[in-house]
Amino acid sequence: MSTAVASRGPAGVGAADPAGSRWLRRLRFFAAVLRQRPTFAIGYAIVAVVIVTALLAPWIVPYGPMVADPTVYLLPPGRGHLLGTDGTGMDILSRVLYAPRVDLAIAGIGTLVSASIGSCIGAIVGYYEGQRSWRRAVSASVMRSADVLQAFPVFVFAIALVAVFGQSVRSIVVAIAFVNAPIYLRLMRTQVLSIRRLRYVEAAYVAGASDLSILARHVIPNAMAPVLAQLSVNIGWAVLLTAGLSFVGAGVVAPTPEWGSMIAMGFQNVVTGQWWPSVFPGIALGVTVFGFALVGASVEVLADPVRRRILSGSLG
Amino acid sequence: MPEHSKQSAALHRRDVLKAGSGLAASALVPAALTTTRAEAATSSTLVIAAPATPQSLDSNFDVSLGTFEAVAALYDNLLEFKKIPDPKVPGASREDIADHPNLPAGLAIQGKLAQSFELDPAGRFIRFQLRPGVKSNWGNELTADDVKWTWDRKFGLKAIGGFYLSTLGLEKPEGVKVEGKYTVSINLDHPNPLLAKLQPNLYAPIYDSKKCKEVATADDPWARKFIENNSAGFGPYRLEQLQRGQQAVFKARQDYYLGKPAMETVIFREVPTSATRAALLQGGAVDIAQYLQPLEIVRLRQQPGVKIDSVDASFMIWMELNAKVAPFDNVKVRQAMNFAFPQEQVLKTVFQGLAQPLHGCMPNIYAGYTDKFWKYNYDPAMAKSLLKEAGFPSGFKTSLAYNAGDPVQEPIAILYQTALRQIGVELELKKVPAATFYNAVSERKQPMIFYVDSPWCPDVGYSMTLYFNSQSFIDYSNYKNDEVDKLLRDTARTADQAARLEMMTKAQEIVMSEAPWVFIAFPGYHFAHRANLQGFTYYTANNIRFQDFSRAA
Repeated sequence: MSTAVASRGPAGVGAADPAGSRWLRRLRFFAAVLRQRPTFAIGYAIVAVVIVTALLAPWIVPYGPMVADPTVYLLPPGRGHLLGTDGTGMDILSRVLYAPRVDLAIAGIGTLVSASIGSCIGAIVGYYEGQRSWRRAVSASVMRSADVLQAFPVFVFAIALVAVFGQSVRSIVVAIAFVNAPIYLRLMRTQVLSIRRLRYVEAAYVAGASDLSILARHVIPNAMAPVLAQLSVNIGWAVLLTAGLSFVGAGVVAPTPEWGSMIAMGFQNVVTGQWWPSVFPGIALGVTVFGFALVGASVEVLADPVRRRILSGSLG
Repeated sequence: MPEHSKQSAALHRRDVLKAGSGLAASALVPAALTTTRAEAATSSTLVIAAPATPQSLDSNFDVSLGTFEAVAALYDNLLEFKKIPDPKVPGASREDIADHPNLPAGLAIQGKLAQSFELDPAGRFIRFQLRPGVKSNWGNELTADDVKWTWDRKFGLKAIGGFYLSTLGLEKPEGVKVEGKYTVSINLDHPNPLLAKLQPNLYAPIYDSKKCKEVATADDPWARKFIENNSAGFGPYRLEQLQRGQQAVFKARQDYYLGKPAMETVIFREVPTSATRAALLQGGAVDIAQYLQPLEIVRLRQQPGVKIDSVDASFMIWMELNAKVAPFDNVKVRQAMNFAFPQEQVLKTVFQGLAQPLHGCMPNIYAGYTDKFWKYNYDPAMAKSLLKEAGFPSGFKTSLAYNAGDPVQEPIAILYQTALRQIGVELELKKVPAATFYNAVSERKQPMIFYVDSPWCPDVGYSMTLYFNSQSFIDYSNYKNDEVDKLLRDTARTADQAARLEMMTKAQEIVMSEAPWVFIAFPGYHFAHRANLQGFTYYTANNIRFQDFSRAA
């Protein structure tokens, strides 16, 4: 990609400031990709809006997200409360805007923890796989353990973990990390299996570098691309899992503003005609997960050299 | 757009939404239920949407919701309260549980399996003359031996039966004496005012001992396994089918001694979600939808073909303040928690105006109840002042556990959490799964926990003893006051009703002053049914009895 883009970039800028020119070229390429694939642009816009909303929520919400006002309970969407109020008089707009702070934090931390742990284990397993020593046995047992973990339905497994650790944000993070770790483990292992035989790795070995040094300096950095692509897909999925856990009562503690919890609190009212307490957080949840899925799709394309080359070609 | 056009458009959208909701709700129930519209319309078939089917049919061990209805259908008691028209709901009836000083035992009580009874005015014995010719669902005739075996079973198995034994003060099996084929008596060492009053209790039915002995084994001498899944009683129905988690089917008995019930078949279906139960009732697929949420009741009231009978009931809902956990070991803190509770707003929003304020510590439909000691109208300033006096000028942090299976508890908890912030109390909410909630209550370790209950025996002493006697197994707030304990003991040992009422008034004064609960509401009993169903009768056990119902022509 860099060659193709460099050939289209302004040569003068590159000569004066190579690093700045490189970023500028990347930015232009990225902008061109977004023009070519507007759905990617929508995804990035959604994720950006959600993140900005989460950051600015304390300053932009009209009411406290956990303040119940029984004098205005179950008000339909209107002037005072744009998205209405729920059964205890809490403002739905304020809660919908506040919710990403919780959802994204849980999903982000959970996914990062799972990626870190899964990738490290995957790198070690991949590096030692096939060797004739006790390390091989350990690698095999780790992979079979991952098989066992992945054999469980993810949602049921997450509920069981929350039940074991108790209902709290920390438990949900642990559950997300736990159920996702095998995905990263497999990704990293596959990458490392192909990288460990490359010449520069062998050269490092011959030069006397330790296994840990080879892994940290030469293997892991070169195996991270698919892991990074998986991250954004997983964050969207983790948001959904967080909401799902809250919906079934195994997630965050009420009245924490969280989309799944809000849907659960309001879904009984749909039949009695008060649809707004659950529909608006449902829409917010759906749009956010959709946004992360689009971003994930774009990262998948951009991280794949072949698809990236094809895209570069189509950009002319 | 003209105003009327806007309205019609809005209505159209709403209708579409409701229809969609109904459709979604229908999708949640078993396919078999969609066939029940025809059943519900059949004059002699009663279809009930209930939150749960009976877990067990043994009233000695099980207190699940479906079990109440099943036990009432399969078994009969020796005595029953007479019925009177409900003063608030035309066409509905209720038990006459008032004090009647001029009647025997001071109660409007009459024989059922017993055709007559004789009660010692001092409350030391009661003698029953059984109705001859009464047959069980196995064809065995009721005799005094059945009554004796039933009480012996309580001695043998303890559990819930043991509670009734201790409540009556019946210490030995020999206290129940067979005096003839149809004559049996219960004899106590000490006078007990509940000797007659406990007999109509839902969980004091009589078993067919002949059948039970037939199926008993050396390992299971009291036929536990059999009674758990079958019936051996003298009630109006027999069990046709029990598929736990799906449905129970009951068939009316042709040979029932009081005449065959109008509803020949009763289909008792499990529909866990209240919104789905409401949708099924509205659509005519079921005749009765049990345990609906206040908003659903309000909406169903507007629907054609559906009727809601809302009667005063023995149900109460409150929050236990654990007197053994700081800071609720301090009376002033407990009082402050009550002054900080926005009771009026909770009744208006969460209960939609369908409940009454809990201004006392026992059911307001029972003789002896008083609300004259109520003083906890919402007053955050007073609450703050009391906290300051108690040594918590900046408030404190505590937690409130609530039942995930009861949709009213979470909104109450959230409203209370907001209200408590005003006095500096930080309340953490703990959602406890319905399956383990009762364990959390009975462990008595939570600082605060919701509780919903009703004393089934309509008696002031019984009610107060359940919740405020420090020896009671359901004194879940760990409340202990020596004077209250003494008053309760004395009340349980005299049949002098005037003296009992005086003592219990004093006990209520002390309890209300010391506030072991956060007093919430009398939710009432709201019976949601198809308009052509008649015969609803309210019982203090808050259950329905299939034999009461018939269909209007």
